[in-house]
Amino acid sequence: MATTNGTPSGPSSSDMEYYYRKLYPFTDIYHWLNHSMTTSKDMTHREFAMAFRSGAYKRYNSYTSIQEFKQQIERANPDRFEIGAIYNKPPKERDTILKSEMKALEKELVFDIDMDDYDSYRTCCTGAMVCSRCWKFITLAMEVMNITLSEDFGFKDFVWVFSGRRGAHCWISDKRARQMGDLQRRNILDYVNVVRDRSNEKRLSLMRPYHPLLVRSLDLLKPHFSDIILEEQDPWADDANAFATLLTALHDKLLMDACRKYWTENPGRSSKQKWSDIDVLASSEVKANKRHDYLLKLKECKEDIILQTLYPKLDVEVTKQTIHLLKAPFCIHPATGNVCVPIIDGFEPSQAPKLIGLQEEMTEHNDNVKFTSLQKFLDYFEKYVNQVIENNLDSGTKREYEELLK
Amino acid sequence: MFRQNKRRLAARRNNDLSFEDSNTSIKLENGITGFTSNGSLSLDEQKLYSNISKTKLNFYELPPQGEITLEEFETWAIDRLKILQEIQSSISRNKSVKEIATIIKPQLQKLLPSTLASFSNANDSFLEKKKDYYSHYILRLCFCRTKELRESFIRSETLLFKIRFNMLTAVDQTKFVQSLNLPLLQFISDEEKNQLSQQLYQTASPLLQFQLNLTDEQQRKAYFARERYIKLPFENVIELVGNRQVFINNGYAYLPQFQQLNLLASEFSNNISNSLIKTFQYMPRLNEDDRLLPILTHLSSGYTVTDFDQNNGQYGENSDNEINAESVWSPEIMKHYPLSVKHLMEGLKLNHHLRYNGRQQLSLFLKGIGLTADESLKFFAKAFTDGGHMTTEKFNKEYRYNFRHNYGLEGNRINYKPWDCRTILSKPRPGRGDYHGCPFRDFSSEKMTSELQKMNLTPAQIGSVLDSCNKGEYTTANTKVFEFTHDFNGNDPEINDQTLIAHPNLYFERSRQLEKKKIEIEEKIKGTVVN
Repeated sequence: MATTNGTPSGPSSSDMEYYYRKLYPFTDIYHWLNHSMTTSKDMTHREFAMAFRSGAYKRYNSYTSIQEFKQQIERANPDRFEIGAIYNKPPKERDTILKSEMKALEKELVFDIDMDDYDSYRTCCTGAMVCSRCWKFITLAMEVMNITLSEDFGFKDFVWVFSGRRGAHCWISDKRARQMGDLQRRNILDYVNVVRDRSNEKRLSLMRPYHPLLVRSLDLLKPHFSDIILEEQDPWADDANAFATLLTALHDKLLMDACRKYWTENPGRSSKQKWSDIDVLASSEVKANKRHDYLLKLKECKEDIILQTLYPKLDVEVTKQTIHLLKAPFCIHPATGNVCVPIIDGFEPSQAPKLIGLQEEMTEHNDNVKFTSLQKFLDYFEKYVNQVIENNLDSGTKREYEELLK
Repeated sequence: MFRQNKRRLAARRNNDLSFEDSNTSIKLENGITGFTSNGSLSLDEQKLYSNISKTKLNFYELPPQGEITLEEFETWAIDRLKILQEIQSSISRNKSVKEIATIIKPQLQKLLPSTLASFSNANDSFLEKKKDYYSHYILRLCFCRTKELRESFIRSETLLFKIRFNMLTAVDQTKFVQSLNLPLLQFISDEEKNQLSQQLYQTASPLLQFQLNLTDEQQRKAYFARERYIKLPFENVIELVGNRQVFINNGYAYLPQFQQLNLLASEFSNNISNSLIKTFQYMPRLNEDDRLLPILTHLSSGYTVTDFDQNNGQYGENSDNEINAESVWSPEIMKHYPLSVKHLMEGLKLNHHLRYNGRQQLSLFLKGIGLTADESLKFFAKAFTDGGHMTTEKFNKEYRYNFRHNYGLEGNRINYKPWDCRTILSKPRPGRGDYHGCPFRDFSSEKMTSELQKMNLTPAQIGSVLDSCNKGEYTTANTKVFEFTHDFNGNDPEINDQTLIAHPNLYFERSRQLEKKKIEIEEKIKGTVVN
C-alpha cells in the first residue's frame, strides 16, 4: 500500500508561488466564505492568517475582493494560510481600533478528526503514516458525523477536507451553525464527543438506555467492528495492549482476572480469539441465578468497547472557540506536499494530488488545469459552493433568484 | 432632568399608587423605556403593578415606574445584594443547587420574603413584590458597567430565579409559566410524541431515574406516558444538548415538561443580559443625578455586605468572664481565631510590639469578642513589656491612650467597631514587620500552603483555598477554611444567616457557637447513657 508519508523535503517556495499563481481556486474559496456572489461582511471582515516557512505567523489579514485575496496571498507566498472568524470590523484595521472593540461574530462550525487519537487501536501504521486500512477509521467517523449533523442538528451545508496528512476537517456553513457563540459550540461538541478520555484507562460506562445518538451510532459501527478491529487492526494480539485497553473496559474484576490468567498462559491469541474468550470465560464465571444480569452487563461493556474504538474521536480545541483558525481547503501540506482536497466518495489519502505531480501534469497538458488530477476535486468543491450560496439566500431573495434562473 | 421629574411627580402625587409621601421621593426611571414616557405614566404604573401582582414570580420585564425614597433605594438594594452575594460565594465554593437553596431560603424569608400563603394580607404581599421588583432594577444599575459584573449578576439572579421557581406550588408554577406567554413553549401533539416515543423515552429514562428518583421502570414508563413535550430550536436549551439530556431531531430539541425550568432560566438570563447592556448604554444619562451615583458605585465596588456588627450591638457574650487578659492566649480561645488574628497574636508574641494598624486590628477584634477595656489594657501591657524592651512606664505614656481610645474612653469618645473584612482589606498593605491585613491576600502561596497544612487541610482543600485567593475572593477563601476546619457542612439548619464569613468576629462567634452546640449534644448523649 502506498503511504502518503511525505518525501523529506516539502515543496519549495517557488513551488508554492507556482501553485498560488496557477492552481489555487481563490474564486471558489472566496465565494464559499462569503456565502454569496456579491462581496459581503462575511468576507471583508473575515480573518486570514498566514504561516511562513521561517515559522513566522501573520494574523489579522482581510481582503475586500477576489483580486486582492489572490494578489496578497500570491505576494506573501505563505506555506499555508488559515481561516478565522468574521469580526464586527475588518481585521486588517485592527491596529487602528481598540482591541476590546474587536468582536468575533460568526464562523463556520468546524470539527477536526486526527488519526493520532486512534493509535491505541491502530497497528498497520504509526505516527504520521497513513494507509488505506487505517483510513477506514476516518471514513467511518465521517459517516457517523454526517448523520449526526444532518439528522440531529438539521445542517445541510458541510464539507470534509483532507488535512494533508492523516486527518480530516469538517466545515459547516449553515447560517445557524455559523452564528453559534462559544457556549453553543462547546455544547454541540460535548453532545457529539462521546469518547472523551483518550488514555482508555477507564471504561466508558455510558448511561443506559443509550441516548438515541448512541443507539444510532452503535448500529452504524457494529457491522464494521469485526472487520476493522478484530481482523484488520487486531490491536489486542499484543498482550500488553489487551491488558491495558481491553481488560480495563470490562465490568467485573473476577472476569478480568480470569482473562488475564488465561491470556498469560496462552500468549499471543488474536483479537478475535480474545473477544470470544471473554464470553467463554464469563459464562463459566457466573452463577446461574445472576446469569441474566451478568451477561447483560457484559453485553453493555462490549457495546461500550465498540464505541470506544470506532466512534469519531474529535480534536476538541478546534471546535470550541469561534475565533479558532483552521487551515484553508486546497492548501498544500508543508511536509507531504499533498493538496488538502475536499473528501469525495471513496477517497483515500493516496489519491490526494501532490503539488509535484500537479506541476508535471500541467507541463504535460499545456497548463490546462482541466486535465490534471486536481480537477475532479475542484468540480466537487465548486458544486458544493453553489449549494452553500443557494441555501444561504433568504426566502425573499431566493424567489427572485429562482425567477432569474427561469 | 430629575428636577423636571419632581415637578411632574408633584402634579401626580395624589392620583397614583405611590406609597411614599416623603419629600425625598425620587423617580426611578430605567433606560429601557427611556425617557419617552409622558402623561400616561400613571397608567403604565398601574399596569405594572397589576402585572406584578398576578404571579408569584416574574421576569422583570417592565421597568418600575413608581416612587421610592432614597433610603428604600439603598436598603432594598443592600438586602438583595446580600442574597446574591451569598449565592455567588456558594457557587464559588462548589455548592450544589440544592445546597444553595437550603442555605439561602432562610435569608430569603428575612430579606426578600414572598408571602406564599393566600392573599390574607394583600398589602403586605404587594409591598414584598414591590421591594423585590425595585431591588432587582436598582442592582441592574449597579452591575451593568463591566462584563464581569454583568456576568456574575446574571449568574446569581438566574440561580435565585430557579430556586424561587422550585419553591412555588405546581399550580403557581403553571400560572407563572402561562403568564410569560413564551412563543417557544409549544407542546407537541400526542401523535408526534407517539412517533418519537422510543427515542424520547431513551433520553428521558435516565433523567427520571436520577433527577426524579423513579427507580422502578414501570414508574418511569407511567410518568413518561403522562409527560408533555415541548419542541423548540435546540439553541434555546443548549446546556441540555451538551449533557445529552434532550432528544434532538432536525434542529429541534424535545424538552420534557419537567425540564422546562431550564428553558425558563435560559430565557430569564437572556432577558437580563440584553437589558443590562441597554441599561449600560443609558447610564451616562443618569450622571446628572448626584444622589444615586455614589450609592451605585458603592454597591458595585466589590463591597461585601455583612450585617454582623449591626445586629449584634453587643459583641460576643462574655457572660462568665471567659474572655480576659489571660484566656485570650489560651488554646481553648485561640483555636476559634481566624487566620488573620492568629497571625497578629504570633507577631505580638514574637516582637512584644505591634505597629499602629496591627494594634488597631487586634485590639478592636478582642474588644469584639468581649474583652473589657481594663482587661485589654492588662493584656497589651503585659504583652508589650514582657520582652523586657519596654517599661510599664513607657507603655502607659505611649500606648495606654491608644487602647483606651479604641474603647471610647478618650478623645472624641467614639465606640469603635471591630474591623470587618472590607475595612481590613482597605487598609494599606502590610510591609516588613507589619502583621495586620488579610492573610488570604497578603501571604505568598507558599506561606499560605504551610499555614493551611498546619491546620490539617488536605492538598485538594488547600488547592481550593489558594484558588479563591488567586481570584481575589478572600472572604470566600476564609469561609472555605472555616468549613474545612469545622465539622459542619454549611447547611446546618440552625445557622439561618449568611454562610459567607466577611468579618473576623463572625468567624470567632460561629466557631464558638458550633463548639458549644457540640458539647451540649455530647452532654445530652452522656445524660441519656447515665440515665
